[in-house]
Amino acid sequence: MMSKTIQNIELKSRVALLSGTSMAATWYFIAKNIVTAPYAELAAVLPAIGFAALLPTVVMLRESKRAVRASRQPLSQRLEVLSKHVIVNVVDNKHCLAEVNEEFEKATGYTQEEVLGKPVSMIYFDNHARKDADEIRTGLMQGKTWQGETALRRKDGTLLLTHTTVIPLFNADGSWGGSISARTDMTRVNQLMAEQETVESLDELRDDIWIVDAESERFSYLNRAAMARFGWDIETYKEKSLGDLADGEAVQMIAEACRRLEDTGETLTHFQLTLLGVPFDASIKFLKVANKKNRFLIMLNDISARLEDESRKSEFISMVSHELRSPLTSIKGSMGLLLSKAAGDIPEKALALLEIAHRNADRLVLIINDILDLEKISAGQMEFDLQDVDLSELVEETNRANAMLRQRFALDIRLEGTDRPLHLQTDPNRVIQVLTNFLSNACKFSQPNSRIDIKVDDLGPDIRVAVRDEGPGIPAKDQHKIFERFADLENSDRTAKGGTGLGLSICKAIIEGLGGTIGFESQEGVGTTFFFILPKGHFARDAQETLMRVAS
Amino acid sequence: MIKLLHVEDDADIREIAQMSLDMTGEFEVVQCESGEDALRQVQDYTPDVMLLDMMMPGMTGRQTLEKMREMPHLQEVPAIFMTARAQQSEQDELREIGASDVISKPFDPMSLADQIKQIIGKA
Repeated sequence: MMSKTIQNIELKSRVALLSGTSMAATWYFIAKNIVTAPYAELAAVLPAIGFAALLPTVVMLRESKRAVRASRQPLSQRLEVLSKHVIVNVVDNKHCLAEVNEEFEKATGYTQEEVLGKPVSMIYFDNHARKDADEIRTGLMQGKTWQGETALRRKDGTLLLTHTTVIPLFNADGSWGGSISARTDMTRVNQLMAEQETVESLDELRDDIWIVDAESERFSYLNRAAMARFGWDIETYKEKSLGDLADGEAVQMIAEACRRLEDTGETLTHFQLTLLGVPFDASIKFLKVANKKNRFLIMLNDISARLEDESRKSEFISMVSHELRSPLTSIKGSMGLLLSKAAGDIPEKALALLEIAHRNADRLVLIINDILDLEKISAGQMEFDLQDVDLSELVEETNRANAMLRQRFALDIRLEGTDRPLHLQTDPNRVIQVLTNFLSNACKFSQPNSRIDIKVDDLGPDIRVAVRDEGPGIPAKDQHKIFERFADLENSDRTAKGGTGLGLSICKAIIEGLGGTIGFESQEGVGTTFFFILPKGHFARDAQETLMRVAS
Repeated sequence: MIKLLHVEDDADIREIAQMSLDMTGEFEVVQCESGEDALRQVQDYTPDVMLLDMMMPGMTGRQTLEKMREMPHLQEVPAIFMTARAQQSEQDELREIGASDVISKPFDPMSLADQIKQIIGKA
């Protein structure tokens, strides 16, 4: 349009030039022949020049002004057409918003009064968007139109993604006049595309995924795995609801779980169920969306392979346990009987050898016990017998049970913090196992007549039990592997001191399985403190998750 | 004398248990090498206590006890299982089928008799 206007001006100017030249020639001819005064030549030439030069100039100026006036006609009249369909804004040469349409107000949440005269950067979403705007402006000032995505910020701070065309505006003198932008809102389009990608991802999962309408219990989505399980296609499942599944018991469990979520206000639940003969870990999430129907997202993970694996491991553990313990029963049993002189007197030297054999048979039993404990933990099969336990009493009981250790190593063992009951939910036998291990280690690594402190602290939600010795301490370079299986410490004679090398790794697994934490502090030449912290409350699923993490 | 029926497939363990209980002079032991053997022997014999190994070829200790409990004269006889360290759930299952208690293997031959007497004393 602009070039047409310029062509128009040029044409009129040429016409004016011809006319002016003709008029100039005519005047000259007339003046030359009519005017006889001394300035006749001047009188002929000057007006002729005037006609020739001025007329086209006047015409050009007039037409240009008209064109500029036309271009300066309020854009709002033009914007009126676009207003109904696109978001439009005009930016002046000072990079401020000069005009915005109604769609702009609706899309951004800003009113005209709030934005007019303000820097356009106020509607850019972030610095990245501002940087892009600077680059776009550079091209615009060279007369280039720009198209692409721009990230704007709504008044409420949320993202408004737009597809934008920006056209440069120039003044009559060719100077930069600003730009006009026409935009379409891409936010909703992108959301729909993201939803489509999500659906495609869900289809790739091996787990069965259902989305069920909370009110009607109809399926609004089944992924490929779920459709295959039921033998339904997309058209079929859209007509189905939970009640159409051929497993009333499983459906009832799912429906009850969904109702519980609605009633309690919780959003997530997990449980196991068997559906159509297949065992699953089920997770249900309650999806509450404002102004939309509530739905349940149900995910079913087939655990039949895992259960079979666990069953095989369990059988293996039982079998190995039996196969190892039976010959040990005979070995220990026969040596025990010999040592008790059930078969008569035994020579002194033979007795000493028998004692060595019997002692090591005992050690073998401990190692087997420890290995099988660790295997049970790895297989997630260690069960805990949770009870309400007074930890103070438990600590005192453990100390009494290990009185022989105290006498054997001539140690001063002191208790602190056990003068009042401290109750928690835990497995007493396993806690005793850990405490015994701590105490046994402390005794073995202490000098005769040194002191061992057992301290119980109430930490509020947790209880801490610590066993401190005045032994040599653990070398710094070995500390990182203290809880590893068969961690060999330099200068440590495990045979002389006893122990299987597995005790601390089992202690760690037990305490973590009970929902607690285990640790130690040690300084060479000063001593070592081993401690564990157990939660007072019932740890239920958290500990189960910990056990699964420990087992993995 | 306490009449004890010992069901154990391992000959060495049978011998050790026999020697251990003989030392006390308080037990009269009948040895069975399998669950099937035990069921034959109890047809016309009622022990005061039964000591059963858990894992045996053929009939397991559990299966053997279940069969024995079907016999009226054996329904109230205390039964002790000899087993590798059973978990709590396993011990509960054994009690549900009529076991009085569990003794872990390897057992201490010097204290076996006392353990048995303690269990039947409670039962």
